[in-house]
Amino acid sequence: MEEITPLDTIIELKSCSIMQQDHLVLSDVNLKVDKGEFVYLVGRVGSGKTSLIRTLNAQLPLAEGEGWVAGFSLHTIKKREIPLLRRKLGIVFQDFQLLTDRSVHDNLEFALRATGWNNKVAVEERIKEVLEKVGLQNKGFKMPHQLSGGEQQRVVIARALLNDPEIILADEPTGNLDPETSEEIHILLKNISNTGRAVIMSTHKHSLVKKFPGRTLRCENGKLSETEQNDQVIELLF
Amino acid sequence: MAKSTGGISRYRLGSSYATLVVSVSLVLFLLGILGMVLINARQLSDYFRESLSFTIMLKEDAREADIRMLQKELDAKPYVKQTEYVSKDEAAVKLRNELGEDFLDFLGYNPLMPTIDVYLQARYTHPDSVIKLEKVIADYPVVDEVYYQESILNLINDNVRKISVFLLVISLLLFLIALTIINNTIRLSIYSKRFLINTMQLIGANRSFIRKPFLLKSLFFGFLAALIAIGLMMGLMYLIEKEFFTLFTYENINLFLLLCLVLAAAGILINGISTFFAVNRYLGMHEDKLYY
Repeated sequence: MEEITPLDTIIELKSCSIMQQDHLVLSDVNLKVDKGEFVYLVGRVGSGKTSLIRTLNAQLPLAEGEGWVAGFSLHTIKKREIPLLRRKLGIVFQDFQLLTDRSVHDNLEFALRATGWNNKVAVEERIKEVLEKVGLQNKGFKMPHQLSGGEQQRVVIARALLNDPEIILADEPTGNLDPETSEEIHILLKNISNTGRAVIMSTHKHSLVKKFPGRTLRCENGKLSETEQNDQVIELLF
Repeated sequence: MAKSTGGISRYRLGSSYATLVVSVSLVLFLLGILGMVLINARQLSDYFRESLSFTIMLKEDAREADIRMLQKELDAKPYVKQTEYVSKDEAAVKLRNELGEDFLDFLGYNPLMPTIDVYLQARYTHPDSVIKLEKVIADYPVVDEVYYQESILNLINDNVRKISVFLLVISLLLFLIALTIINNTIRLSIYSKRFLINTMQLIGANRSFIRKPFLLKSLFFGFLAALIAIGLMMGLMYLIEKEFFTLFTYENINLFLLLCLVLAAAGILINGISTFFAVNRYLGMHEDKLYY
């Protein structure tokens, strides 16, 4: 495990190739994200947004180049270190990926137990805290399928926050949600970013990018590039 | 509404576990029946082998004390199950009873020789063993001749060997079928949870943490299935002993207990090992392949 320098940089990729199995998706990717930054990741369907996020959480191996995430080097990471990396990340999926066979409370409890929390009182307190943060303090007993899409996404965000992660990776978190709920989720992620955590969010919804401007990275033609922040450019991005 | 859907979900989950337990218990029950057949076949073959005897014809002038000494010596041998001494007089009485007339009257003397019938332990009834024993016994000074029906001995040994090979092949085949069925049932059960396993990995759970609840549940279900299989076997035994006790009695309770232990161990082990490999398969699988 190699430390990232400088200390404020939480994600760094140098001349990386992002592969989806044998297929090159993005090449020569250079990226730096600092603590507390909110970064949009935009681009057409199939442009490589999800592959980039999957590479950052070690779902996909880094084929070429060097990369560091939360103190772990992606190019040398061992299988047994991957769970440790993921404990420093909060991952939010478009399709939620909750454990469908247990309640909201048990989903959160599982995530805590899986990441080494053994004290029952501390576990209960942490679950209460994160559910309050996402406004679901009274829904702990519900099964995932008994919640609306927005509520399920809030549970996923609560789960992502459990271990006080340094980075939140959100892959189209509002993709399946209506505009109003999307905005609520977006505000939630923005608030999380304001507490010092880096947030990388891939999205298709230009209305959100317009309303809540931020650093925007664009995947296009197999390359990752930074774009300017103005409405015309944003319109062209989607 | 919320509660009722939760109930349906739990019911479905319970139902899939019930299917797993029932499938495994039925397969173990089949294995148990096979075990019972094997134990009884062994007993039956031992019974036939041990009912074979060879006869030691003793010299006419052999002293009673020497004969008794020989019998005692033979009884102490590990290969002898039992011996039966028939004196000249006893042999004459037997023959007289069989013939229905006193042959001593018209012969004027007793031509029969004293004999010792030797019944061997089942594992010493192989023709080679019997030939060796024949030589050893023939060397005793009081022994005149050793006689046994070689053809019957060979026939029984030959048939027992053929039946043993047949049963062994069937056992192996059934065991393989049982393994495959249990393994497939468990793999299907784990397959339905492959996305859960993937999600668990994504939130930072390590492999052993993910595997543990699957393994514990599987070991418990294996044990439960074995208990059901043993219960079914006991029921079957009761019926068989009630209806066909002469055909298929089960006398050796220790062997039955051993069989129950083997079944419980098989249920737990096969379930555990299958689950271990099935979960590992999905732990190491690329996410894209989960959809195929």
